[in-house]
Amino acid sequence: MSTHTEHQAPQGREPLDVNDPRLTRFDIVREGARRDDIEIVHYEPQVLPGTKAERRLTRVVAGFFLITGLAATAFLAIYIWWPWQYAPGRGGDKFYTPLLGATLGIALLAVGFGILTWGKKLLPKEVSIQDRHEGAVDADGRTITGQTMLYMADELGVKRRPLLGISLLAGLAPVAAVAAAPLVGGLISQPHKNNQMFTTGFATPEGGQRIRLVREDGRPVRPADISTGGQLTVFPGIEHGVSNRHADSPTLLIHLRDSDAQESRRANERVGHGDYMWGNYAAFSKICTHAGCPASLFEQQTNRLLCPCHQSQFLITDNARPVFGPASRRLPQLPIEVDSEGFFVAKSDYTETVGPDFWERP
Amino acid sequence: MKRRKFDLAATPGKAAVGVDDRFQVATPLRRLLNKVFPDHWSFLLGEIALFSFIVLLLTGVFLTFFYEPAMTEVVYDGSYAPLQGTPMSAAYASSLDLSFDVRGGLVMRQMHHWAALLFMAAIVVHMLRVFFTGAFRKPRETNWIIGSLLFWVGFLAGFTGYSLPDDGLSGTGLRIASAIMLSIPVIGSWLTSSIFGGEFPGTIIISRFFIAHVLLIPGLLLALISAHLGLVFKQKHTQWPGPGRTNGNVVGERMFPRYALKQGGFFMVVFGVIALLGGLFQINPIWLFGPYEAWVVSAASQPDWYVMFLDGSTRLMPAWQINIPIGDGYVIPPLFWPTVVLPGILVGLSTMYPFLEARHLKDRKSHNLLQRPRDVPARTAVGAMAVAFYIVLTLSGANDVIADKFQISLNAMTWAGRVGLLIAPPLAYYITYRLCLGLQQHDREVLAHGVETGIIRRLPDGRFVEVHQPLSAANGHADGHGELDYVGWVVPKKMNRLGALGPAVRGFFYPIEKPVEAPVSPGHPPVEPRGERAEIGSGETRH
Amino acid sequence: MTSDNDRRRGLLARLRGRPAVRSRGRRRLGAAVRLIAALMLAGGAYTVFAPGAQAQDNPPLTGAAAEGKALFDVSCVTCHGRNAQGVEGRGPSLIGVGAASVEFQVSSGRMPLARQEAQAHRKPPVFTDEQTRQLAQYIQELGGGPVVPEGDDLRDGGNVAAGGELFRINCSQCHAFGGGGGALSSGKFAPSLHPATDRQIYAAMLSGPQNMPVFGDNQITPEQKADIIAYIQETLKTDQDPGGFNLGRYGPSTEGLAIFLVGIVALVFASLWIAGKS
Repeated sequence: MSTHTEHQAPQGREPLDVNDPRLTRFDIVREGARRDDIEIVHYEPQVLPGTKAERRLTRVVAGFFLITGLAATAFLAIYIWWPWQYAPGRGGDKFYTPLLGATLGIALLAVGFGILTWGKKLLPKEVSIQDRHEGAVDADGRTITGQTMLYMADELGVKRRPLLGISLLAGLAPVAAVAAAPLVGGLISQPHKNNQMFTTGFATPEGGQRIRLVREDGRPVRPADISTGGQLTVFPGIEHGVSNRHADSPTLLIHLRDSDAQESRRANERVGHGDYMWGNYAAFSKICTHAGCPASLFEQQTNRLLCPCHQSQFLITDNARPVFGPASRRLPQLPIEVDSEGFFVAKSDYTETVGPDFWERP
Repeated sequence: MKRRKFDLAATPGKAAVGVDDRFQVATPLRRLLNKVFPDHWSFLLGEIALFSFIVLLLTGVFLTFFYEPAMTEVVYDGSYAPLQGTPMSAAYASSLDLSFDVRGGLVMRQMHHWAALLFMAAIVVHMLRVFFTGAFRKPRETNWIIGSLLFWVGFLAGFTGYSLPDDGLSGTGLRIASAIMLSIPVIGSWLTSSIFGGEFPGTIIISRFFIAHVLLIPGLLLALISAHLGLVFKQKHTQWPGPGRTNGNVVGERMFPRYALKQGGFFMVVFGVIALLGGLFQINPIWLFGPYEAWVVSAASQPDWYVMFLDGSTRLMPAWQINIPIGDGYVIPPLFWPTVVLPGILVGLSTMYPFLEARHLKDRKSHNLLQRPRDVPARTAVGAMAVAFYIVLTLSGANDVIADKFQISLNAMTWAGRVGLLIAPPLAYYITYRLCLGLQQHDREVLAHGVETGIIRRLPDGRFVEVHQPLSAANGHADGHGELDYVGWVVPKKMNRLGALGPAVRGFFYPIEKPVEAPVSPGHPPVEPRGERAEIGSGETRH
Repeated sequence: MTSDNDRRRGLLARLRGRPAVRSRGRRRLGAAVRLIAALMLAGGAYTVFAPGAQAQDNPPLTGAAAEGKALFDVSCVTCHGRNAQGVEGRGPSLIGVGAASVEFQVSSGRMPLARQEAQAHRKPPVFTDEQTRQLAQYIQELGGGPVVPEGDDLRDGGNVAAGGELFRINCSQCHAFGGGGGALSSGKFAPSLHPATDRQIYAAMLSGPQNMPVFGDNQITPEQKADIIAYIQETLKTDQDPGGFNLGRYGPSTEGLAIFLVGIVALVFASLWIAGKS
């Protein structure tokens, strides 16, 4: 260690004998710095001991620390005694969090500024210069390390005994796979189990009844439930139909005006959805074909449906064609009719894939 | 008897000797204490990120004591009346309890969220400083890459954390994230299904995000931050050019005690600002969003600010769907480009930039001196271009809020964003480039002719000229001005920046080190070799 | 545990837990009666809404309606035409829109329109309450339509928890989670709910002003409307934010702005001071 320092020391400077009793403490500090190739070129007290300025600054720093103490105590007092339990309306409890934050913030800021003032104003200013030793690459060191590594490689003799290397690779590769297998194997999940990406809760079960359209509280929907120009979010009337387990199923049931409904029917016929509407009612998937947000901002005069996430706009009267924004696909339409009891049912599942697009969708 | 006498004052010394006997730490410790750090306000920006990270760890540990990472359905019966009786996930219910039924839980939750925003903001601001001053050049390319990775890992940390409360807003974000994964060609549906454990949302994603958010990602962040700091320590900090400063030295303060005190104080200040934000500004009021339900959404659904640029790019993307007519047909949805390809390009470009620039300039040297942005107009202009690009995207991520509050058409905002994304970056490049050249020109003029004094003099032939105060002594030029060389640092441009009339508050945007010798001058003499300078000492040792 | 059952149980628990609110039993009892009434009303409304409904003889107007007609002929006739049949390209027909629509548009100052634009803005009302009532009466007698119930407090007994759930599913997509409003396509917008009175919110749900969908009494019952109004007026407006200043409840966009304008700016100034020479 000392040789290293000796080596780095500039020419003509003898290291000081740090045990010399004549040296001041600062002399030793500076000698230590020099041994680390640091030269303290400027060191100047900002305030002289015993001056008015020193007393003033000391008071300032002490003041900051006392503010911290006060604020921290206030924090504790508020934490313990201030009413904190939520009550509706306007009340003292609404100031609990702001007061905690304010007292904690003041306490921390005061201790911070106290320390900063101490360091900035009371300690001597200094300018030190340290050598980087950049570029002065230790060429010998490089050679030695390089040769050592080559020597070790030679000793292992993989070059001379290639079987060792090959068998090691052959042995270790499966081990790496063993490490990865449980992770990959455990996580991987078949996306097309039960054809789940292409079906929704409205799929008519084998030999079963057609699925009713129900509201968020499970009640089935009658045509009279929706006024002209109104819209209702409906779900498949099955178990867990109104839950995130059927996140693809929420559907918007819209009651169009007469003229809009006629236009809409014409548009439906063009895409082969001629019998998807019932009367002036049309049902479209609420799940945006772009990124899956509920596209549910229905403008009843323009018949546009806006998705609030990325502003895709769908024209309901043109079979929910995307007319603006990043969505590239129509909202799938649910074929609906009214059953003998007067409730809306899905004639079948969606005939197109619901939800955001993916590679194998078509 | 004498041995029994206990000398309290000597105890620390004895203990220190005992420690050194065993571990031999005295010399390494001295090196650490002595390490010199240059001082400039812009070098503290990275510390803001570091200190916010510490606050994140502290507040985050508190939150884990009360948060339940489960998607089991429960019926809320906590004290927030407007949600009582609502079915929701256990994760959301426990987040509500954290906010309303845990004493001081809300302030901790809000501090955690503000600290996360501050962490990301400080990373970006620090990155801009490093970029515009050329601090990423050799030998610091590795640290630049680590820093860029920190942004993206922080991005993941933020997104997973934001999703944990399972409220209406974060669930919408999670839904979009699943759609983004779905959009990846070929593997999309497999990837999504594997991560969500089946069809969205499944029942496991919150637990997986939880372990990623509290263990895997913080572990990675911690490792990257340690490597980042270790490299700063090993390679020593860059410094601004200036009197006495060379590529081969560091001019500044030794770490102890003053520099360390300042750092400690600054940590407390950062912590204090986060506490004030956490208490005084409400963030992410999850109780208003309600539980996540696939059919519920709010207007102005946005991610946190550091994700907003991706939301913006998604909003601006035209509806270009690519159909591949093979077999049953395959599709690449428009969502894929702005959310998977664009970030991929950004990661690649940002991490590779140091190498691209070095290659372009054929620059193989090591650089420890920073550059003023005006001195490298091309890089500064490229940076301005990137910033303009990012800002247009981020603003577009909030374009519905802007449209609503400033009564602009939403469709017009989208078009403005699309056009702006094409026009703003080149415009920023051109303007910045010209600004840099103009500033350089002015610097040279001042060096050649001196500082404007504001004194108008009438010449014998009737012309009026402004008197300039030359920066150097007359050296035989006809007009009495000696021309100075530019040395890459601030040129005084006003009379009150010269001599005794220096600015009252120093350190604001220019070097805090007083020139050791004369002001900027050509071929400024380096600091005298050590050992020959006059004796200096601390106040105490002066006699 | 099935979520469906949980959900029902949740509703049940909510209702049982707050006996001050309507009991489940009463609700069930009333349900049948209401259903019949609703069906009749809907049928009636349907005939009124159906085209050709306005082709009825003009019955004599009552006193208030006559006053309303006088006001109408001065202030509204330009755009909505004689007998409120509408003017192509200027204003729609008001036959059958009902008193609710008039009350909403006139009492919130949206009508009379200041100028033609994407959507009418809220303004200080031009007409007094009395005049608004007269106008509403006139339109009501002209073609019928939905009417807002009597009284200024239409949230009596409303359950904020039930209202919150209804608000999130029906209202928040346009008016935002905090009721501050949001943008719609091409310059249209969902207005902030903050200046709206109980009656205006009720009238808006009933009549579906401008691009707002209609939420008739069959879809959202008067009791549910009271729940929603209670949630808007009590939770969203009166209930103070527990976490400090709410930054306008614009969501993450203002939070992002705040971290730069407050957090970063404050800390940059701190670092300027720290690194500055004393």
